[in-house]
Amino acid sequence: NNEGEKQILNSQIPVTTDRHSDNSHLALQAKHTEQHEGRLYNIPLEELSAVFPHGLPHRFQQQVLTFNEARVMVRKPALELLAYLKGSNFSHPAVRYVIYGERGTGKTMTLCHVVHYCSRQGWLVLHIPDAHLWVKNCKELLQSSYNKDRLDQPLQASVWLKNFKASNERFLQEIKTQKKYMWGKRECTEEGRPLREVVEQGLARVRSASDAVGVLLRELKQQSHRGSFRLLVAVDGVNALWGRSTLRKEDKSPVCPEELTLVHNLRKMLMNDWSGGAIVTTLSQTGSLFKPSSAYTPQELLGKEGFDALDPFVPIPVPNYSPKEFESCYGYYLERRWLQHEKGQGWGGKRGMRVLGLELVSSKWAKKLDKLNTDFCTHRDAQSFAVPSVSLQGPRTFPPCASGLISSVCPCTPRVST
Amino acid sequence: MVTAPRLPELQECLENSLRDAQGGIVGVSVQAQQRSGQSPGCSEQSRPCGVQRGRSGRVRPAGPGPCRPPSRRAGPWAERGGAGMAARAGRCCRAGLSCGALLSPALLSPAVLSRAPATPRWGRAAFSSAPAVSGREGPQAREGSVRRRGRTLQFVRSAAPPRTERMAVDQDWSSVYPTAAAFKPASVPLPIRMGYPVKGGVPPPKEGNLELIKIPNFLHLTPPAIKKHCAALKDFCTEWPSALDSDEKCEQHFPIEIETVDYVSSGTSIRNPKARVVTLRVKLSSLNLDDHAKKKLIKLVGERYCQETDVLTITTDRCPLRRQNYDYSMHLLTVLYHESWKTEKWESEKSEEDMEEYVWENSHSQKNALDTLLRIKASENVSNVTKEELLASEVVKNYRNSVIALKNEGETESNISQYKESVKKLLNIQA
Repeated sequence: NNEGEKQILNSQIPVTTDRHSDNSHLALQAKHTEQHEGRLYNIPLEELSAVFPHGLPHRFQQQVLTFNEARVMVRKPALELLAYLKGSNFSHPAVRYVIYGERGTGKTMTLCHVVHYCSRQGWLVLHIPDAHLWVKNCKELLQSSYNKDRLDQPLQASVWLKNFKASNERFLQEIKTQKKYMWGKRECTEEGRPLREVVEQGLARVRSASDAVGVLLRELKQQSHRGSFRLLVAVDGVNALWGRSTLRKEDKSPVCPEELTLVHNLRKMLMNDWSGGAIVTTLSQTGSLFKPSSAYTPQELLGKEGFDALDPFVPIPVPNYSPKEFESCYGYYLERRWLQHEKGQGWGGKRGMRVLGLELVSSKWAKKLDKLNTDFCTHRDAQSFAVPSVSLQGPRTFPPCASGLISSVCPCTPRVST
Repeated sequence: MVTAPRLPELQECLENSLRDAQGGIVGVSVQAQQRSGQSPGCSEQSRPCGVQRGRSGRVRPAGPGPCRPPSRRAGPWAERGGAGMAARAGRCCRAGLSCGALLSPALLSPAVLSRAPATPRWGRAAFSSAPAVSGREGPQAREGSVRRRGRTLQFVRSAAPPRTERMAVDQDWSSVYPTAAAFKPASVPLPIRMGYPVKGGVPPPKEGNLELIKIPNFLHLTPPAIKKHCAALKDFCTEWPSALDSDEKCEQHFPIEIETVDYVSSGTSIRNPKARVVTLRVKLSSLNLDDHAKKKLIKLVGERYCQETDVLTITTDRCPLRRQNYDYSMHLLTVLYHESWKTEKWESEKSEEDMEEYVWENSHSQKNALDTLLRIKASENVSNVTKEELLASEVVKNYRNSVIALKNEGETESNISQYKESVKKLLNIQA
């Protein structure tokens, strides 16, 4: 059966079901080039939980659970970014990259791909999964003890510190503080202590979690130029930092984002006055506040203030799936038995395919998909697959993954010679 | 079908009926009486005689045509003589005979039959006229025919052929429509259709088409008609100056255009309050303004300036007389011009938000770019690089242009990719 599949799929899609080269991808990832475009590569699950305690899109997480494997598609924007990172000069100030694109095209997955690459390469990854979470729906706002005008967000800060600790244990041990920090009246962290203590202080005393985050960012920024580690600042939904917030103070007056400690410190981190790393950010309209749903370009989402703050940056557009990528994704789903074909039970393959791929597929491709499907059906016996029911939530949802995913889900091992 | 010969009794009865007319219902009731004599039921039942019966004998409602008022005068009948009368009678009789359900043949036939031999009142005229009458389909066949409509008789005007059939191709159209008039289908020799089409059909034709009559038409303003108007007005005009033979020259010598409207209407008063409105239009390029003055003037006038055509439009109507409004608009223009040349003290507080377009100099973008470049140079241990040098360098100029394009023209794919390239060059990023 596998052979049969390969025969059909070989001609159109460079996707294999070959599991043997699973482990070879680790070395391969560095060698991802244009020829791998459209292919899907595998991330072992234990590594996934280590690198991504937070930050993966929800639908992708669901897919990982369903298929029991994490496959990320190699796409052009990610390859471009990786090329820039490989060739960047780390003595120069950090370059800012802004990934932008329409909804559901794969910006977050591109970011995750880059984060995975950098963590594989041994960088220290400062990954803020969604900056929008810091400007909305905060239950607790405390007045900052460090600066009377600012507001602390203990819950958000502690959650982030926990995840950060999970992904960067090694570094927290190695990097030492350069200053003495006083937490309140009695506690302090001496100079020369590992940063882990700062993080634990933040986790233990939730009231000072935001200040702990601030200290952490400051330390990393100051020490990155030395070259002992490379720093990657990855922020998803960076337009939240320069937008508006829905938070209100006790007197019901609205809160500006810069009055929040976390946002203030992160903004300082995104300035290019440090070197020894890179800043990769994503714009996101989903989850943004007071932005029209059709907005996706940098100026629209960042606004004047954000643009001036991030300028000069390298904009990286992320388009929808190309036909090749779509076929790859489709083939992966077929291979995983996620898509049912028309001879089986469930919704018809042709009709379903057309609905699913609406945004991505022209009629020419729909016909091709039909042909693919029929080929598949004729070669296999008409079996009914017990596939979980598909919820067609919109043109861009490929079950079980949704939004960002059509673009980058379904990894498969590339057929790469090692 | 050959009609039965008219009973002479019937003819005579009709002639006699005029003399003893009863109210308005002369023909029917009397005829009924005459016909069946003692059966009053016939008088009511003969009412459907108004329904025209053709040769086929089917009931056919009276065809479309001008509704003729039932003529109740007995006079014309007597004048026209027995022929018309007989026709009426014959038809009625036939109708009466063929609507069998309504009329009881028992009532009719013996009555008629009994009448037949007794009094040969129907003349030859009746006999001869009957077939002619029986051939008639509609009410309007020929001159002087009388049509029965219900209980009354109507005169049917014959329909003359429309005037369009007699129109020559090279006629003088302005005499057909000398003034604005409603659309007359018989006067317009065009096969126009207008309206919502019947399913599977075409829009209705122009005859009796209310849609065409309702709408305004310009049939009175064809080019030859307008030529005639101009010829008539020419006596009141002077020659166009020969030196102004192009638009540019007009623009150059007469940059200000004044527009006023005169209103004429039929009524008791020649005054119209709308006539006092004066519109002044001028192009700002023809005014002597420097950059600051132009921006200030545009800010002062606001909505009245059109960016695309560079035209300032001032409309005045606050004074009661046109002369006064004209003077006021000229005064406004003068004041605007002089005020825009002045610079007030508070104009120095003009901030970035007030700027009409993006200026890169002294902007955040310039500051960021310079800072970044200085840091890059510092990291490479290259000192003695001045800001002016940096600003004058090619990459910075490129970057500046791309940022200006991005801000002023908005974000397009090409703009963004141009910006991306310029940033890559600026920061020296290699792929």
